[in-house]
Amino acid sequence: MKISRRRAIAGLAASSVFVSGSSFGQEKEIKVALIAPLSGPWARTGQLMKIGADMAIEDINKQGGVNINGGMKMRLVSADAGDSVERAKNAAQRFISQETDVVAGTGAWLSSFTIAVTEVTERAKLPWLTLSYADGITNRGFKYITQTNAISSVQAAAAMPDIVKLAEKATGQKPKTVAIISDSTATPQAFIDPLRKGGFEQLGIKIVSDQIYTPPLADAASIVQNLRALRPRPDFLLFYSTNIPDATLVLQKLHEFGMPQTKLPMIAPGAVHMGGPEMLKNVTPQMLEGTILVLANWTSKKQVSILPELEKRSGEPWITSDIISTYGDMYLIKDAIERCQSLDREKIMDALRNTNLKNGAADYYLGGNLSFDDAGRRIGAPTVFVQWRDGKPQTVSPESDAFMAPLWPRD
Amino acid sequence: MELSIEAQVLLETIVQALVNGISVGCLYGLMCLGLGLIFGIMRVINFAQGDFMMLGMYAAFYAFGGFSLSKILGQSIGPIVAALVAGPVIYTFGILMHRILISRVSGLSAATMENDGHNAQLILTLGIGLVLQNTGHIIFGSSPVSIRSPLSTTAWEIVIIRDQVSVIVNQARLISGLIAVAIAAVLSWFIFHSIIGKSARAAANNITASIYMGIDVDRCHRIFFGLGAGVTAIAGGLLALYYPFQPYVGMEFIIVMYTGVVLGGLGSIAGAFWGGLIIGIIQQMSTLILPNQLQNTATFFVFLLIIFFRPNGIFGKTTERA
Repeated sequence: MKISRRRAIAGLAASSVFVSGSSFGQEKEIKVALIAPLSGPWARTGQLMKIGADMAIEDINKQGGVNINGGMKMRLVSADAGDSVERAKNAAQRFISQETDVVAGTGAWLSSFTIAVTEVTERAKLPWLTLSYADGITNRGFKYITQTNAISSVQAAAAMPDIVKLAEKATGQKPKTVAIISDSTATPQAFIDPLRKGGFEQLGIKIVSDQIYTPPLADAASIVQNLRALRPRPDFLLFYSTNIPDATLVLQKLHEFGMPQTKLPMIAPGAVHMGGPEMLKNVTPQMLEGTILVLANWTSKKQVSILPELEKRSGEPWITSDIISTYGDMYLIKDAIERCQSLDREKIMDALRNTNLKNGAADYYLGGNLSFDDAGRRIGAPTVFVQWRDGKPQTVSPESDAFMAPLWPRD
Repeated sequence: MELSIEAQVLLETIVQALVNGISVGCLYGLMCLGLGLIFGIMRVINFAQGDFMMLGMYAAFYAFGGFSLSKILGQSIGPIVAALVAGPVIYTFGILMHRILISRVSGLSAATMENDGHNAQLILTLGIGLVLQNTGHIIFGSSPVSIRSPLSTTAWEIVIIRDQVSVIVNQARLISGLIAVAIAAVLSWFIFHSIIGKSARAAANNITASIYMGIDVDRCHRIFFGLGAGVTAIAGGLLALYYPFQPYVGMEFIIVMYTGVVLGGLGSIAGAFWGGLIIGIIQQMSTLILPNQLQNTATFFVFLLIIFFRPNGIFGKTTERA
């Protein structure tokens, strides 16, 4: 039989419906993105994030996958943000153009990387979750970004009054003086500037020393000598570093110059690196004992039933915020998809913005309640205190998540 | 003599900065000495020198931990010996690097190349550096490590004025500084009094005449390249006693090394050491009057000032090379 041109075209058009399949056929799996530094100086952090995401997806798939279209498995696709903003942006651009069926993603750890990556994901209308702190991430009017933690400026405003209360309760008097050591990059300065410009004054605390250094530190001796020269010694030290070597050098020098925690309590905001097991490869547990880290997320006593297993599977001595946050992100994405019953990016983003959970995915973020405002910022995100106790960092605040009460180091 | 509190604090701060500067500077001096042998004498631009230092740090780290020097020699002597062991290991690596790669763009081979082979050396050594960094990342991981020893966190308190002024001297740094000075002295003797040292200096002045005199220029360069790598590796091993490192640590020190070599004077071994020492002292003393953020700015400002008045560096001489 002769097939006319019209019949051939009609036949091709009819068959393409079955080939393309998104409306009629079922997708076999749901692809979720992770963009993080997997090489370069921050590779360790990216690897921890990937471990968290991989474990969550494994658990989700074992439990039957995402409850949509009869149950669909999740799959993680990752891209390396590398060691610079430019590389992170290029990685995101390549990723977005290659992985067109990714439904949501998380990353990219460093705030500067996250800002660059989300410029790309926003254009692609890809829902994005991040633990990064910088205020700038969610003040650009973007619609497809969600910050799962307290932003820098909120952390600063919320943390210090609690620190003062803790010190007052332990010592019987309010601290009156503080020394500050911080590195010159954007995130530490964004945290400390509000405190310099009246924040500490409102708390009745005087800044007696304010030293800024350019990382990486070659030597901490001059910085610590300036502290040693202060008479009288300040009531506590606010130390904002962004990498392990700088933190190690300062801790070693403080110890050497006769200013351990018991003589000069240390508060370390944003110091996720100081909560990692790598610190113990460089300093002794005694040098860290009592240090209070001010963070966005950590493990909670509510997770006590799953933590030993996660530690075993990850091969890590304890679970850090990088692992638990991306673990939670995968469950949050799963939850959003199940609520909107769609793989459409816009619908998933709407579901994320309308999140209002007290358990389930919310169990992986401290503070109890998980909801977001129109800008994508978490409403009521708590400031988390993690303290080194007996050789391990433990959540000590908020109380609902704390493993133990906080302690103010004293002689 | 009873000083006021302000005077005590000022004197203590000045002397502490000077002591810190000298101890850090001695180690910088040793690093610069290694590069001085390669850049100053061989005229080879080696941007992988920082990565040779990194290899030295890991060699010392594994010699101390993995090869049980800590158990055999203890926690105080073990790290020092581990740092010294790193020298011959990276010397051998340097020899191999020269034989396989560097010899193709330096010495006799470079005589007919554009710009005496410096362009090719730059590209080649940058490439070697990248390979070393990324291979190091794959093998060693990216977590910073250091050689944990009681020396790193223990200090001697030296009393200047009883009950008023004292300085704190880190044990690891003081011992590292003394070893650095000793190695610099031994190397200096070797270069000026050994046959190979004299041959290398002759080749540095005039390759053609050296060949006519029967000097194996290629062998001289190979030995000096190895020595340069090995000396910088020892500096790295000593630095590892108190400085956390990872495979990209070399990038933090390569500028210090080049600055020290140029400041001290190209071609001058003693100059390279003094250049590094001066950088260490300026880094620490500048914090007495400038904010910490401007430490490196002060270093380069002084560098430019010295080069302005002495373009050949402090110990450099104007010579005509064939």
